Amino acid sequence: MSLMTMIVKMSEGLGKTCAIFFLTVLFSLPLGMIVALLRMSKNKIVSAVTRFFITILRGTPLMLQLLAVTYGPYYLFGAGVARNKLIPVVIAFSINYAAYFAEIYRGGIESIPVGQYEAATVLGYSKFQTFMRIILPQVVKRIMPSVTNEIVTLVKDTSMAFTVSYQEMFTIGKQIANSQTSFMPFLVAGVFYYVFNLIVDRVMGRIEKRLDYYQ
Amino acid sequence: MAETTKNETTAILEIRALQKSFGALSVLKDISLDVEPGNVVSIIGPSGSGKSTLLRCATFLETADGGDILYDGQYAVKQGVYASKADLAKFRTRFGLVFQNFNLFPHYSVMKNISEAPLLHGQDKAEVQEYAMSLLKKMGLEGKENAYPCQLSGGQQQRVAIARALALKPEILFFDEPTSALDPELTGEVLKVIRQLAEEKMTMVVVTHEMPFARAVSNRVIFMDGGVIVEQGDPEAVFGDPQQERTKQFLRNYQR
Amino acid sequence: MLATVLCGCGSSASDAKPADGSAEAAADRTKFIMGIDPEYPPFSYLGDDGAYTGFDVEVCQAVCDYLGWELEVFGVNWDEKLVQLDSYECDCVWSGMTILDSMKEAGYVLSAPYYDNTQVLVVKSDSGLASSADLAGKDVAVQLGTSGEALLQDDLDELAATFGNIVTCDSFLKCFTELEGGGVDAVFVDMPVATSYVAEHEGLTIIDEALGAEQYGIAFRADDAELCAQVEEAVAALVENGTYAEIASNYPDIVNNLLFLAD
Repeated sequence: MSLMTMIVKMSEGLGKTCAIFFLTVLFSLPLGMIVALLRMSKNKIVSAVTRFFITILRGTPLMLQLLAVTYGPYYLFGAGVARNKLIPVVIAFSINYAAYFAEIYRGGIESIPVGQYEAATVLGYSKFQTFMRIILPQVVKRIMPSVTNEIVTLVKDTSMAFTVSYQEMFTIGKQIANSQTSFMPFLVAGVFYYVFNLIVDRVMGRIEKRLDYYQ
Repeated sequence: MAETTKNETTAILEIRALQKSFGALSVLKDISLDVEPGNVVSIIGPSGSGKSTLLRCATFLETADGGDILYDGQYAVKQGVYASKADLAKFRTRFGLVFQNFNLFPHYSVMKNISEAPLLHGQDKAEVQEYAMSLLKKMGLEGKENAYPCQLSGGQQQRVAIARALALKPEILFFDEPTSALDPELTGEVLKVIRQLAEEKMTMVVVTHEMPFARAVSNRVIFMDGGVIVEQGDPEAVFGDPQQERTKQFLRNYQR
Repeated sequence: MLATVLCGCGSSASDAKPADGSAEAAADRTKFIMGIDPEYPPFSYLGDDGAYTGFDVEVCQAVCDYLGWELEVFGVNWDEKLVQLDSYECDCVWSGMTILDSMKEAGYVLSAPYYDNTQVLVVKSDSGLASSADLAGKDVAVQLGTSGEALLQDDLDELAATFGNIVTCDSFLKCFTELEGGGVDAVFVDMPVATSYVAEHEGLTIIDEALGAEQYGIAFRADDAELCAQVEEAVAALVENGTYAEIASNYPDIVNNLLFLAD
């Protein structure tokens, strides 16, 4: 198999890799905020339960969570295994990353001085307005570097979808490597991920720069 | 709110027998206080005397344990029981608060810091902006409307904070140690603005450590210590001829 | 006679007979030369220590030990292996060699098959799928790195092209979970694996259609039937005394397909 054929075949899987990546970012970022707010809830039960789930999601391998989401429903309830693996894969990735984002958000939210809330309250901002207009924009700026870190990790983590047989780029690379007994596909995969992350880094850098108008 | 109206008074703010503890620590013990329209009341006293807590209770940032708080004769707090959320929101429109640390919104321009709250209250945009510009002019901050707080000095930031509080046209303005976070050379510009507001008969309550300022600007000075009002009265009387030993001691320490 | 059957190969081995002119009698034999493909792991390959090893080599060594022979391993040129066998360069070809009908027709003595590389399709019993043709447009799971996966890419690529999706799982357990959970319609898997899994799990059926059927055996010269029987007997004895299974346990990738170990 020529290098060109290899690259073309693996590029076909790149679409699926991108699908995992973008859908996970799309769902996990807002989901993480919900989890963070539940985690910081004044209701101790809600907060404790949320913290428990976060420790599970952060304390067990993503690979295991992928298996649990994909095959768990079948083993537990006899429910069908999804044909389109993108669905369980994105669910597992989104939940997992939401747990990480939630802790980042929480750190960000807790780092905002209490005076910001007090000023907004005295000025008559509702709780929702205070959060959306005053707190959240400042949190976003503060957590940007940590979020970038997670997103870079996510790019590489997409390769884990192979555990549930989702035919993304790395899975195809492994197949080629197996049949061709060649290390080349892994090298190609490495280059793909590197370039992908280079782009991610650029985009995130640009966003961070746009938030640089205040310090 | 009709039934909670209490007449026979002209005070903007009335505080009666206010109590507040943090755990076992009693911070406010039976504080009573009236503020008449157009008056400037200075509250002085050592750290931990409860003066900031008093302001924070008056502005609902802290929840009092007992006592009454009335604005324009209407109960916001009656014997430790607070009015409904909606009513408290209405009460909030009557006062403004200037913080020690300014608490400007760093991600907003000066103009947005000042104008967003009135806009959220449904005021006309053109009017709000016009009024904000006039406030900036009054604060000596012309041309700074597009600056961000981080681009301003502490004194300028505090003046923006004052403009922000004034933008809602409050009946009474609270200052919580407005110059304590400033470098000494910057306190003057802030005090000048407050003095100017006093001349315009703005009703104000100022917690401060600036004794000469309190003496010059106030109609009344309150000396607090240990959660109680130790002495109060005309500034010349309190500063010139304090009656209580604790007041004398405090003022002596301050003059050194 | 050999010359006539081998004429198609383009080279004749008829002039390369050993000095004594006939197969050695079993009793006199002291040495056994095993012909292998040295690049066919895990059956036969050059080990890390520079000596030939592999499943077949280890079994052959055990056979020789059993029979009191000295083993010599001889690397053949795989394309010319039968010519080399006939020219007495080796006494057998024993190296993951697929038994072909053409070999039998040519008169070679072939041992009973010891390894089954047959692939089958497993479907749900109630699916109504009865042949590989029924799977047109259906999703089929296959385990990464198995001969089944290789077959679908290679010899069976035409059949593979009719499938809807080929889902590559990293374990056969996942393949079957996909099937039972409805994630795929069929699993393409080694026959022994399929047999044992279906026996333990209800509701699954093996489609009665051997795909890419191949079995491995040992080839001997046409006049060495007695030698073949000797080796087979020795192997049977090794299976009996557990040595065979012990060797096989070192080769987990192929152990499921070893016919002598199948129950």
